[in-house]
Amino acid sequence: MTPPTDHSVIIEHLTKRYGDHTVVDDLSFSVAPGRVTGFLGPNGSGKSTTMKMMLDLASADRGRATIGGQRYRDLDDPARTVGAMIESDAFHPGRSGRNHLRVLADATGIPHHRVDEVLEEVGLADAARRNAGAYSLGMRQRLGLAGALLGEPPVLILDEPGNGLDPEGIRTLRDRLRAQAANGGTVFVSSHLLDEVEHIADDVVVINKGRLVTQGSLAELQQAASLVRTIDPGRLAVVLEQAGAATETHGPDSLIVREMPIDEIGDRAFTAGFAIHELSPRAGSLEELFLTWTTTQSTDQEVTQP
Amino acid sequence: MNTTRLIRSELRKLTTTKMPWAFFAVLAVLAGINAFAVVSGTDMDGSKAFIATGADQQSLVAFAANALAIAGLFGAIAAAREYGHHTVVPTFLAEPRRPRAVFAQFTAIGLGGGVLGLVGAGLTVSAVAFALPTTEYGFLMSAGDVIRVLAASTFAGAAGAVLGAGIGTLVRNVGGAVTGVVLTLLIAPPLVVQLASGTASWMPSVLANVVSGVLDDVGQLAAIAAIAAWALVPAAIGLLAVQRRDVD
Repeated sequence: MTPPTDHSVIIEHLTKRYGDHTVVDDLSFSVAPGRVTGFLGPNGSGKSTTMKMMLDLASADRGRATIGGQRYRDLDDPARTVGAMIESDAFHPGRSGRNHLRVLADATGIPHHRVDEVLEEVGLADAARRNAGAYSLGMRQRLGLAGALLGEPPVLILDEPGNGLDPEGIRTLRDRLRAQAANGGTVFVSSHLLDEVEHIADDVVVINKGRLVTQGSLAELQQAASLVRTIDPGRLAVVLEQAGAATETHGPDSLIVREMPIDEIGDRAFTAGFAIHELSPRAGSLEELFLTWTTTQSTDQEVTQP
Repeated sequence: MNTTRLIRSELRKLTTTKMPWAFFAVLAVLAGINAFAVVSGTDMDGSKAFIATGADQQSLVAFAANALAIAGLFGAIAAAREYGHHTVVPTFLAEPRRPRAVFAQFTAIGLGGGVLGLVGAGLTVSAVAFALPTTEYGFLMSAGDVIRVLAASTFAGAAGAVLGAGIGTLVRNVGGAVTGVVLTLLIAPPLVVQLASGTASWMPSVLANVVSGVLDDVGQLAAIAAIAAWALVPAAIGLLAVQRRDVD
């Protein structure tokens, strides 16, 4: 009996430089099977370059990316192992959507009946014979997704798959990715649609300026903040920051404190003689957290991995 | 087996856009121009001596030099548009061992160029044959000469397409690739000959006419080998470049 294949994606010390500019800087993280992992970062933070290195479309100056323990180029059957969508407009505008997929099917030995199945699955069956150049942005995204799903791969690596999709398309995408993860598949999705990531992702990997900012369970990260209400939040902030916490002012008498357990916050406030009027766990929205991670948190600090 | 699949995929790429039809239209126009020349053209003295013998007619229909240039443009556009439209991304995802993917692409483009060369020569021979009855001369070429013209054009078309594909892969921009082919096949050779007259026999159009049997500047095998070299050098450079470069 063949042992079950591990489809974890492991990134180890990945580094990419263009001239003097380091685009991806000693990046390490992992993407687990059975979960949807969101890949977040501001524009130009190195997300697409990282994904290209994962897929051997770009070479790494240092480090490596493996899928199930192998580099992409060493996979026995890459198209049936990894479904990828990197460029949303990677098609010839004068070729029909159906023929675009048939080209891919020919290259990978996938039977042509699968082309029609996947067109139906992404909702493009009616437009299959139209030239892809006449497709809307959302239809192009669906075509890209169809290409990624063609080989029924256990691993999906998708760069901004939700761009331009209408609400129905977003829902279809969400359901498809959730189903993929529920069946044990590995799903790694970059997106700047934070609301969407919040709905879809189990885990997140956040990078900024090519460096890892945080990685972990989204639910845990969202709970990893505490609200403290006190008379002098500014002075308390100094005390807590000296002890390694990250703080931000939240109204005239409140602080949001991260990277410090709630018990420790209470103990340190008590030791420093602060009267605490409220100390409670605070779930932050992903947008709030994202802005905190990418604007106020130094990437030189120790990486948060709850 | 995998390479066969890749070649089939590349052939489907070539046959599922309108680009080949544009080239077939150019070939039809060129054949029409040849037919018009037979019907209406004359030599300086007003005679039709340019079609008076089988050798003259063979010179007129020898399409290999045209095939080299036209298929060169075909190959350049076919390869460069892969990068312009990013369709090379799914290709390299399907076959991350890039030399194999590019070999399949060059093979398919070479086959396409060969077909263009064959069709171009076939249309030209047919057009001239249909136009000759309007003159005092009949069709004087032997079957062997016709086959040689067709074979030479097919070979030159395949070689030209591979040359163009190499340049297209290197440049990755359709405009730049077309310019590169025009420079390589049409503009640079006469300049090189001006600088070194001994090289004239080794220029692509001369070699193509040698293979077609209308010139004998060099031997047949030498001409075939030299045309192959003209095609394979840019193809090899393109292949090396692809291996080293990131995909944008």
